Order: sequence, then C-alpha cells, then structure tokens
Amino acid sequence: MKFVDYYEVLGVPRTATQDDIKHAYRKLARKYHPDVSKLSDAEARFKELGEAYAVLKDPEKRTAYDQVGSQWNSGQDFQPPPDWNAGFEYSGSGAGAGPGEDYSDFFESLFGRQSGFGRHSPRQEQGQDHHAKVLIDLVDAYHGAQRSMSLRMPTLDAQGHTTLQERRLDVSIPKGIRAGQHLRLAGQGAPGQGGAPAGDLFLEIAFNPHSLFRVDGGDVFLDLPLAPWEAALGAVVTAPTPTGAVQLTIPAGSVAGRQLRLKGRGIPGKTPGDLFVVLKIALPPAVNESARDAYRAMAKAFDFNPRAQMDGVS
Amino acid sequence: MNPNTVTFIQGQIVEEELHLTLMELCQACHAEQEHVIAWVVEGVLEPQGDTPLDWRFSGDAMRRTRLALRLSRDLDINPPGLALVLDLLDEIARLRKHQQHT
Repeated sequence: MKFVDYYEVLGVPRTATQDDIKHAYRKLARKYHPDVSKLSDAEARFKELGEAYAVLKDPEKRTAYDQVGSQWNSGQDFQPPPDWNAGFEYSGSGAGAGPGEDYSDFFESLFGRQSGFGRHSPRQEQGQDHHAKVLIDLVDAYHGAQRSMSLRMPTLDAQGHTTLQERRLDVSIPKGIRAGQHLRLAGQGAPGQGGAPAGDLFLEIAFNPHSLFRVDGGDVFLDLPLAPWEAALGAVVTAPTPTGAVQLTIPAGSVAGRQLRLKGRGIPGKTPGDLFVVLKIALPPAVNESARDAYRAMAKAFDFNPRAQMDGVS
Repeated sequence: MNPNTVTFIQGQIVEEELHLTLMELCQACHAEQEHVIAWVVEGVLEPQGDTPLDWRFSGDAMRRTRLALRLSRDLDINPPGLALVLDLLDEIARLRKHQQHT
C-alpha cells in the first residue's frame, strides 16, 4: 500500500488553514467532478480529492493524519503503525467511511470502514431502492431480449463490514429501450424492514460499443465507405443494419458526408428512430502499374483542382 | 418450481411508462423532499400538477434528480446555481451531439 499525501492531492501546504483547504477542494472538485469533466481520469481524481477533503476538513481526523503523515512521503510503501490512532476520540458519526462510499485501502487502513447504513430500526420501513448500470447490445433494443446479468452489490454482514455480493438477475429487456433510460424492477431492491415491501431496482441502460453503429437517442448512424466511381456514377450497394443487410441505392453524384436517412430503421418505439447512413469515399490504393495508370488517366481526363476554393487565399 | 425454467423479470421503462409522485421520486433517488421541492421552485425539475401532492414527475426527472443530488452534495451548490449548472450541462450535451454528427 502506498502512502497518499492528502495535502499534495489538494495542492496545499501542511500549514494551510481550514479555509484554504475548503477553497482548494472546491476549486479542484469543480474541475474533476465526473458529471462535469470529460477528462478520462476524472472519476479517480475526484475520488482521491473527496478522500483527502474528508480527512483534512475535519480537524480531528486532520490532527490524527498529521501524526502519521509527517513521517511519510507520497508513494512510499506504507503500513499504519500499530495503534496509531489510539487515544483519539472522534465525535459525531465516527471516523469510518460514510454510507455507500467507496474509499481506498489507504483511507480504510487509517480510518476504518464503519458504514452508517446498518442502522436497524424496529419500525416498518420500505426497503431502499437500488440503482445499477448495465450494458446491453444494440440489437437487444431492436428485438427485445431475455438476458441473465450479474450485479455486484455491497451488503453489510453481521459485524457491520461491507462485502460485495454477486447476484444473478434474469431480466427481460423490452424492445425499444434506449441508452440512458431506466428499467424499473419492482421489489428487486433492498428488503423492507418489519414486513414492509422491498425497494425497487433501477437499471440504467447503456449499449456495448459497436464497431459499425453509433447511437443517438433512437437514431442510429452508420459510416458507409464507397468507391469513388460508386459515389460519382451511382450504385446499388449492400449495407449492414442492426436488423440485417439491406440493398441501398446510392444516387449519382454523392459526396462524402452526405447522409441517407432510412426512416423508421432506428430503434423501434412509439416514435421509432431513423437509421442514418453517412457516406464516406474510400480511395483504392495505387499499388501496381495498372492502378497507377488508372489514376494517371483520371488526372488527364479531369480538369480538376480540389483546392480551387483556396486560390487567392493565403 | 421446475429448476429448468428461468423466470425473466419484466421491468417498466421509467422514462416512457412511469409518472412518479414526489414520494416515489424521493424514494427512488434517496432524496429529501425539501430538496426536491426547492429544485422544482428553481425550475431544475418541472413536474405536472399544481401542488406538491399533485406533482407527477416524468421518468427523465429521475436522472436529473440524481445528477442534482451528486452536484449539490459534492460541490455544495445551492438550488439557483444548480438550475444554471443543469441548463449548461444540457446545452453542452446538445452541442457535443451536434458536433459529433457533422
């Protein structure tokens, strides 16, 4: 386990005031919040920030951390000294991670993992609703499907430790579901207390990335490469769609970027989406003499300057 | 029960088939009613109906509510700020989409 310098994470000196720490956290949190940031490591950075702030914003935890922290540098191998925080009394809800929060091993080695969501209440209480994100294939949204998926769910054991439990779920994927939509499975959330009903499970749907098709809401996009002569002269070509190959008429004089709309061939639904075929021009490589001759013949046949628009502009 | 038959659970598509009451929305998102009410006042969420008891939220409100919860918790944004942030995020998503297809 590596030592994590929480001051370095927040970019503040060890002498920073509580206000400095808050200010630094807010600024970085805005930058790395996964709902806002497009940086690929935003989620990891934000988690690290949250952890650093959870410790440094709390004067008790900060003092305890400083006791250990002054002897280590960031990235060094770290083992917490035995009983390092003995004698520290934490007010409030204890030093552990909060409900449902997922802290690093480093954090847990120092502050433990005492989740708060094991509170047992004798009164009747409906079980909590759970959320999970699942990946399905685009074609499942076209036809509907029955899929078995496994979800990992943190659960509390009798000692109050969280463990990940694997759970298999057999779900009917309704035809027409779109990415970002939620599927509600009634009664599949946490069990209720005292005979109250269980909560629901909400599955947020996302599509597995597809090598050919891009999806936007109900619309599906396909890039279709054409030979230059197919685009220039028109052609009938075979194009893949999520429901099988179709014969597509390419109008003569097509240019790259032109979109052909196949109405209603997107994801089905009350208002079915469309399938957009985006035309691309692929150039045959000039790898032998006859191919090079063909290009030379083209050059001769056309009085063509692709940069005509640029003349006089520099 | 025959061990060879698997029962596949039927779900409902929240965005298309459901209209949630204030209570149901709060239960589904683990949100406090007072927060949701404040967000409706600021226009973060736009339910149908006149009073909180009559409010019916569309399925899409669930996504917005969970986003609002995360942002307000993590960045300590007040309701008017949240309304602005969500509008701007919608705008960014719209622009990105536009860019992707041209």
